[in-house]
Amino acid sequence: MTPGLHHYLIVSALLFSLGLLGVVARRNLFVIYMGLELMLNASNLALVAFSRYHNNLNGQVMVFFVITVAAAEVAVGLALLVALYRKRQTAHVEDLTSLKL
Amino acid sequence: MDSLTSVILIPVFTAVLLLLIPGNFRVVLRLAAILGSACTAWTAVSFFSRFHAGQEGLQFESLVPWVTVGPLNLAYHVGADGLNIGLILVTGLVGFAAVLVSWNIERHVKLFYVLLMSMIAGAMGAFASLDLFFFYFFNELALVPTFIMIGVWGRGEDRNWAAFKITLYLTLGALIALVGLIAFYVAAGANSLDVTVLKAHLAAHPLSAAAQTWIFPLVVFGFAILVGLFPFHSWAPIGYAAAPTATAMMHAGILKKAGLYAILRMAVPLMPDGAHRWLPVVAVLAVGNLLHCAWVALRQKDMNLLIGNSSLAHMGFAFLGIASLTVIGVTGTVLVMVAHALLAGLSFALSGYLETQTGTLDMTRMGGLLRKMPFYGSALVMGFMASCGLPGFANFAGEATVLFGSWKSLPWFVIIAAWSGLIIGAVAMLRALRAVLQGPEKPEFSRVADLNYWRRLPFVMLLSAMVLFGVAPGILTSRIEPAAKAVLAAHLTPSQAHQAPAVPAAHAAPAASAPGHSGH
Amino acid sequence: MEHAAVVQHAVESGSKIQDLAWAILILPLVMAFGTAVLTPKNRTLSAAFNISGVVVAFLLSFTLFCVYGGQSVDATPFHWLPVAGLDAEIGLHLDALSTLMLMVVTGVGSLVMIYSTGYMHEDRSYTRFFSTLSLFVFSMLGIVLANNLLMLFVFWELVGVSSYLLIGFWYEKPSAGDASKKAFLTNRIGDFGFMLGILAIWSLAGTLDIAALKAKFVANPALLGPWAGLAGLLIFMGAMGKSAQFPLHVWLPDAMEGPTPVSALIHAATMVAAGVYMLCRLFFLYTATPGWPATLGFLDGVSAATIITCIGGFTALFAAVIAVQQDDIKRILAYSTLSQLGLMVMAVGLGAKTGDASASMYHLVTHAGFKAMLFLGAGSVIHACHHEQDIWKMGGLRSKMPKTFWTFALGTAALAGLPPFSGFYSKDEILAVALEANPIFFGVGVLVTVLTTFYMSRLVLVAFFGKPRGEGADHAHESPSSMTLPLLVLAVPSAFIAWLPLGEFLSGHFKPGHATHGGDILFGPFNHNPIAAVFGLGAVLFGFSLAYSLYGKAPTQDPLSAKLGLLSQAMRNRFYIDEIYDGIVVPLHNLMSQIADAIDRWLIAGLAVRGLSGVVEIAGRALRLVQTGSIQTYAFLFTAGVLLIVLLALK
Repeated sequence: MTPGLHHYLIVSALLFSLGLLGVVARRNLFVIYMGLELMLNASNLALVAFSRYHNNLNGQVMVFFVITVAAAEVAVGLALLVALYRKRQTAHVEDLTSLKL
Repeated sequence: MDSLTSVILIPVFTAVLLLLIPGNFRVVLRLAAILGSACTAWTAVSFFSRFHAGQEGLQFESLVPWVTVGPLNLAYHVGADGLNIGLILVTGLVGFAAVLVSWNIERHVKLFYVLLMSMIAGAMGAFASLDLFFFYFFNELALVPTFIMIGVWGRGEDRNWAAFKITLYLTLGALIALVGLIAFYVAAGANSLDVTVLKAHLAAHPLSAAAQTWIFPLVVFGFAILVGLFPFHSWAPIGYAAAPTATAMMHAGILKKAGLYAILRMAVPLMPDGAHRWLPVVAVLAVGNLLHCAWVALRQKDMNLLIGNSSLAHMGFAFLGIASLTVIGVTGTVLVMVAHALLAGLSFALSGYLETQTGTLDMTRMGGLLRKMPFYGSALVMGFMASCGLPGFANFAGEATVLFGSWKSLPWFVIIAAWSGLIIGAVAMLRALRAVLQGPEKPEFSRVADLNYWRRLPFVMLLSAMVLFGVAPGILTSRIEPAAKAVLAAHLTPSQAHQAPAVPAAHAAPAASAPGHSGH
Repeated sequence: MEHAAVVQHAVESGSKIQDLAWAILILPLVMAFGTAVLTPKNRTLSAAFNISGVVVAFLLSFTLFCVYGGQSVDATPFHWLPVAGLDAEIGLHLDALSTLMLMVVTGVGSLVMIYSTGYMHEDRSYTRFFSTLSLFVFSMLGIVLANNLLMLFVFWELVGVSSYLLIGFWYEKPSAGDASKKAFLTNRIGDFGFMLGILAIWSLAGTLDIAALKAKFVANPALLGPWAGLAGLLIFMGAMGKSAQFPLHVWLPDAMEGPTPVSALIHAATMVAAGVYMLCRLFFLYTATPGWPATLGFLDGVSAATIITCIGGFTALFAAVIAVQQDDIKRILAYSTLSQLGLMVMAVGLGAKTGDASASMYHLVTHAGFKAMLFLGAGSVIHACHHEQDIWKMGGLRSKMPKTFWTFALGTAALAGLPPFSGFYSKDEILAVALEANPIFFGVGVLVTVLTTFYMSRLVLVAFFGKPRGEGADHAHESPSSMTLPLLVLAVPSAFIAWLPLGEFLSGHFKPGHATHGGDILFGPFNHNPIAAVFGLGAVLFGFSLAYSLYGKAPTQDPLSAKLGLLSQAMRNRFYIDEIYDGIVVPLHNLMSQIADAIDRWLIAGLAVRGLSGVVEIAGRALRLVQTGSIQTYAFLFTAGVLLIVLLALK
């Protein structure tokens, strides 16, 4: 059995769902963050798979972009998170409600 | 430049000029505003006197195309006819009076006068505009300052609630009217909102009766909310009680008339079928104004609430005249509008001055003030007597004309109107005079002072205008009548002839003296 | 069109003497306004201006009367409110009625003003008084001269407001303030009917001009068809207000709160006469074919004139009965005025049958003279007794104030109807008309005469005879000549008017060419209708002897009160009419206004507005629950939404 497109897509969907679950259900900012990364990478996987099976390189180029932007985003996001943690001594979303009325 | 534009631009320039003067030069600001509004008033008076009475059609017209994109044609189009020339005159006069009585404003003087001047400009623009888009724009330009002024310079604990309520009601009314206007624009298909263009277009391609039946109420009730037609009236007395004097004068006197003006300018002449379908409803609601508001006025202890409610009762006369769909009735409505503008301006100026002297408007606490304030007292007696329909003041001329015009088609309504105007109004006003002026002097009001010389100017001016138009209402009616005929032009066609008067004995209707009579 | 021919003639010959009527009308207004604006501080100058204005108006009226006599002429009109189909003019009409009334109004007006220089001497609002009086005279002249219904209404209202200002002249007295308010409002109820009557006539007959209306009515007496009765009654409502007919009479006695000269002018000679004058002016309405709309079918056979007669007769009797037990000198006169006005109104109603209302108009003119004199005399008494108005605290004034006494006695004789004084002749005409038309009303007339003589004799006997019973009467002395002079002047017409053929002059107006009785004027009544004259004279003698038997021996309190018992109580309380108004009409209106206020407060401001805002707020609160602010929830909802859409799209 050679892996077909749908195998990749299923893995990608599973990864995406796991990431989403992490984002929606977890309360720790770092875990949410990792969930986000997981979702990004799930979509990267889907893009690469499509690119491979449709013989079109656009998808892979797109993945490069995503990885680049994600790296930048991680740098900024993690920096923010660390700064926030230093200030508030917590990374739990329920403790970070100072904007709520 | 013999176009009405000048009467709009003078207050606008004054407002701009005021913006350039530093805010702490209060006297300069006040004097500049007085000068600007005096010029406006003078220009308005000059237009009024140069208006050729008895002529049909527009005078002092000017037309500047503005937007012409595809089907959308908007033009700045101003011009005067009998419907608006009187209103432009009183806008000038009441505006000037409002600026004069505002001398005592101490906070944010500059902003106050800028807002007041933009109210004047807006009102002038609304009355002068023949393009409905510009009418709407100018009307909002005049309304928005009202809300701000009540909030910032208003009086009483409830002023925020009042500002809130008045804003809600008026924006709601304007919104409904806007929906109606847009629907009308689409349905008419003239690609224009210019009344003259619309009129020509609709004469050739009349709007279907079905379309008129649903567009007419949107427009009329939307604008009627701005006038305070029962049961959409409860914003008015509260709003006026909370508003600073000048705002109450301008709003009750002038801006309220814009709604009526729009109905007369656009709804009634352009949608005759809708008018026949819906004006009976308006007449019934006008009874609400005439009886209900008059009774409510009877119970008020606060002078501003009294004036506010009784001014709503007067609006009943205006609506009744429109609903009569006769030349006499519509002429009477315009007379009432002009006369009531002066009266409302005068009344609120009077109550405003009283409050500066006594610190209260609770009439039950006053008494015997005539001794200390003879001039003020006389002005109050005259104003209140005019309000209960004393001949010799313009209000009587207007109300009597409305009664005569409506008698044949709406006799029961006229009976109610006469009862309201002659009896209930008189009871309310006489009670107020009895409470405020008559009776023994009270020690707590020993320090009140009468108006000194130049402060009398706004009162004398408004009273003389009321007396002038009361003694010689022909000055106004000769100007109004051709316009009233034009308003009803579409109603006088043979297809409307089945609208017979309700009085059974109409066989003896005047034959010799009624060339353009529509009730028959 | 005889009338039109006269006007045409006047226009052609270029004679515009009738335009003098404008001067008569405008002069008092100019003076009123001038003094109010220019000389509010200068008492002498103000008084002089206003008096001269009215006196000149009187002289002009006299000139016009001499020039035109009973002719009817129109002065150049002014187009007041020209709208297509409603050309309301301000136009002046001169004929027998209006020229005579002009002289009455300006004559009594000028005498009252001269009198006021004495009476109001110490008042601090002296100038205001004079300018208001002038304003009043102006309004009254407008009624007299009006040539159309709307103008009549306009000046009708102006009379109302100027009387309001005059009755409430001493506004610091709460009772004066209340009285002025009451007078104005009661009048307004009448005006309401008047206005509707005008509207009805205008819509049916198509004109407001009185002369044109009259011509139309002459051509077609059934012009108003079924509406004739109603229109007539509505117009009569206006007269009921001004001429204080039952049940709108309540304002007149209270109006005595005004200064006494005011009472003399407006409550004796002018304002209250306006109603009767108007009825005479629009007399053709009541001689027209009667008719009622179907819903009022039960009134068929009754004409508006009959109803007017009944109301007038009832008012005459009712007020005379009340007057018998009043103690305030001015109130007695007030009720006497009511009663006499009732007689006049009754005479108009009765005259409708014969088409001649001259009896009413004649009585109006004589009554104006002697009642003004009586009021001014009462003022003189009150002035002398330091503002004491209770007749039981007076007494013995005969010797102290001879001029006042003699004129007052003369006025009493004229009012009671003793020949050869004026009242006898005019009242006799009313009795004669009543005898011809309906014996019941003749009985009413005779009874009223008995009562009138009784209460007036009571007043004179108690106030002027016997010994002083009060502080004020003790120190009383004759009033200054500015006050006694008008009394003496007014005595002249009261005594000698019978020598003039006034009745004939007036009936010439109503029935041109039909002189009812001529020649021997002084003894005329006994010749042409002896029964009426004898009954009238007998009633006077009976009334006087009754009064003399009770009050001749100078009692210190009213012996009649004990005899009448409860009835006296009711009479003193004016048969509780005011209480009925206060108990029913006023609360009713208050209730309506309370209901309206409650509707405003609860239904519109509460249920509709707050209800609407409440619904919006509840909706807002409900939606707020969804808006948690937690991004995770949003993300979840977002995903769920996307999934939902995807599912729907795949389906």
